[in-house]
Amino acid sequence: MDFIMYLVLFSMILGFVVIASNPSPFFGALGLVVLAGMGCGILSWHGGSFLSLVLFLIYLGGMLVVFAYSAALAADPFPESLGSRWVLISGVIYLVGVVVVSSLVCGDWYEVIWVVMDELVDFSVMRGDMGGVALMYSWGGGMLILSGGALLLTLFVVLELTRGQSRGALRSI
Amino acid sequence: MSPLMFSTLLLALGLGSTVTFSSSHWLLAWMGLEINSLAMVPLMARPHFPRAVEAATKYFLAQATAAAMILFAGMTNAWMTGQWTIEMMTHPLPLTLVTLALGLKIGLAPVHAWLPEVLQGVDLTTGLILSTWQKLAPLALLLQLPHGNSPLLIILALSSTLIGGWAGLNQTQLRKILAYSSIAHLGWMMVILQYAPSLTLLALLTYIVMTSSIFLLFKLNNTTNINALATSHTKIPVLTLFAPFILLSLGGLPPLTGFMPKWLILHELTMQGMGTLATITALTALLSLYFYLRLSYSMSLTMSPNNLLTSPLWRLRPHQPTLPLAISATSATMLLPLTPAAFLVR
Amino acid sequence: MTPTHFAFSSAFILGLTGLAFHRSHLLSALICLEAMMVSLFIALSLWTMQLNSTNFSASPLLLLAFSACEASMGLPSLVATARTHGSDQIRNLNLLQC
Repeated sequence: MDFIMYLVLFSMILGFVVIASNPSPFFGALGLVVLAGMGCGILSWHGGSFLSLVLFLIYLGGMLVVFAYSAALAADPFPESLGSRWVLISGVIYLVGVVVVSSLVCGDWYEVIWVVMDELVDFSVMRGDMGGVALMYSWGGGMLILSGGALLLTLFVVLELTRGQSRGALRSI
Repeated sequence: MSPLMFSTLLLALGLGSTVTFSSSHWLLAWMGLEINSLAMVPLMARPHFPRAVEAATKYFLAQATAAAMILFAGMTNAWMTGQWTIEMMTHPLPLTLVTLALGLKIGLAPVHAWLPEVLQGVDLTTGLILSTWQKLAPLALLLQLPHGNSPLLIILALSSTLIGGWAGLNQTQLRKILAYSSIAHLGWMMVILQYAPSLTLLALLTYIVMTSSIFLLFKLNNTTNINALATSHTKIPVLTLFAPFILLSLGGLPPLTGFMPKWLILHELTMQGMGTLATITALTALLSLYFYLRLSYSMSLTMSPNNLLTSPLWRLRPHQPTLPLAISATSATMLLPLTPAAFLVR
Repeated sequence: MTPTHFAFSSAFILGLTGLAFHRSHLLSALICLEAMMVSLFIALSLWTMQLNSTNFSASPLLLLAFSACEASMGLPSLVATARTHGSDQIRNLNLLQC
């Protein structure tokens, strides 16, 4: 069990290395998909199945949009794939850096207990994170209103940024 | 931009900062900062120019990075100490991180590089908002942090005053000069932050008054570079006579308002027994003083080659309301007698 | 420091390094920002779960809403920049430099 957890954590870092080593945006989106999937694995392993589901739906759904944009806008004649020279070199440098730093701080790691939330409660029907998220509708109502307001504001902002002849995505003919 | 949209964005700008002011939890403070920068970007991209769009994009990138770093610092603090409160961020690692991130947000010197470019791309009204209102929320967070005796703030402050003075020497664009002056003034605020936070507030207040008067003056004059300042005498003669006082007040010369925070800060630093730091900071203010002097020289101390000295009628009268300019310019020059004596007698 | 703490810290720092040092496309910078927000989301939800403070577990959702705001803020500025500057290469953003 612990082995799978380490594997998932390492795969998440691998996704970050793919993003950080500056490939073309297609491959960056691929790395984002990988790390979002691995993040779902970590969260569900720790007992947050609802949060894991939210991350999966939002990020993989959102990444579809980003991927469409990257396919439409960043049309490189010569894309930097993952095997290109500088991408490979910087990726290897980042990986080696992570491994070196982890071996440096490895002595300070205290004993790992992968405590799964609600593990000690027998026969619990609800997961704890579901109950916690549902609190957003009662006590956390102010934060809910604030987030909703921010999303509405984002709608206006997007409209305002891309309105007009010279700034929208579609060219006026 | 329609007036309804404009007022919505301005309200959201105010809301974001107010949320940050009133929060004691890092997550809520981060949300306020996000709303703030979210509302600021379309205001910056309001004229449909490539420069404005580019400035908005650069501003967005810098602010989003800084906000993510702030939240990461709060998260690290929560993992290490279990504490989300802003005033309880006592672990040195997240404290350093969040100080750097807030410095990136307001444009302190090692991470200041976005500020002159962004300010160069926006118009003067948005620049006024950017250099006054947008500084308030990160400075409120910086004031709440429990800085111990940290050398990081001193390094940030010294490099800010030095770079703000030094890099401004080479500029001919007014907005870039104002950006570097903003960096230098922020350095003065940072140098005293851990010893007397009320002096930081005082310096912020006087900086806001002085820089809003100079922005409004340039707005009324409709100038964005030094050459265009030469025509200001035929346009607004009285203000042209008055402008060197505002500029020298920004530079911090004695009978004007800008002398007050510099005097009190240097006094406090010497009271704390840091004479070397006070000397270096005072010397770097001379660099800033040079370009303020140059601005006032080219604006009103020279007579441009012009054969008539009256206001020509071919310029239309400005429609901008001048009352804010009158109030801020008066207070930018004449507030020195109101120096709080409580800072001096201790 | 637990291994999960190390994992998301190094993940965030990797994203920040990638954003800060070498970016050729603006879209890659936005993807880096997104990745940083994912690591923060994972960190926040792991914090609530490891401490069993489930009342706090609404906050990752709020974080996700705001990071969605940020992402959807980045894409229109990408579109606007691509229309005014011709492409989304970051080195084209050079109109304002000194």
